[in-house]
Amino acid sequence: MRADIEDYFLNPPDGSAAARATEFGIDLTLTLGNLRLTPEQRIRKLDDFIEGAAKLKASVRVIGPTNATAKQDH
Amino acid sequence: MPLPSKIIEAPLRLLGEYKVDCVIVGGIAAAIHGSSLLTNDLDVCYSRDPVNLKQLADALQSVHARLRNAPEGLPFILDSETLKRGLNFTFTTDIGDIDLLGEVRGVGNYEDVIAGSVTADLFGYRFAVIDIGKLIVAKRAAGRPKDLIALPELEAIQEAQAIANATKQRAD
Repeated sequence: MRADIEDYFLNPPDGSAAARATEFGIDLTLTLGNLRLTPEQRIRKLDDFIEGAAKLKASVRVIGPTNATAKQDH
Repeated sequence: MPLPSKIIEAPLRLLGEYKVDCVIVGGIAAAIHGSSLLTNDLDVCYSRDPVNLKQLADALQSVHARLRNAPEGLPFILDSETLKRGLNFTFTTDIGDIDLLGEVRGVGNYEDVIAGSVTADLFGYRFAVIDIGKLIVAKRAAGRPKDLIALPELEAIQEAQAIANATKQRAD
């Protein structure tokens, strides 16, 4: 990654699109992290995240309020 | 139901294996350009050349593609003739969701989208990816909140690409 591009994202110049994105709430360090990867690595990262999120969702168990209250009494 | 696995990589490999002429657009194109926003389906704008429609139909049949959100039992024959009669399709398949766009709003048809596109080498295949400027136009034209929220980051990436290109041209 070239130094001027790194600097553009880490220290966005006033009036730049990066400054507007930061103002909007975008964490440009995440964008910079992606740009350090190859396009194929970016897709793999996305797939890994989707898979991880699906596993997490599948593992969710709802704890009923009765159980939660009983534990708090101890 | 089994957990999804490689739901972006697998459809890309499929399109590569069947040599489908298409351009990656939408959220996956944004991710390839470097966007950090998440997406979980593959959108491609496809060539409507008859040979390509046959390749596409064969590819989709091989992974049991069916229309997403269509009523159960709705008759649907997936072949090149059906693809020719329609334009945009949303499919769910055994390996992930694939959305086919005959036209991209704000940009145009396959020929318009592929003009000026960039290429990306992915999983052993070379794919066309919509140019970031056109991707921004398409997102703005789509106008949904999930599209509009992507714009500030894409515009920052576009500006960074312009800086990189200008520096390279000066060096050359």
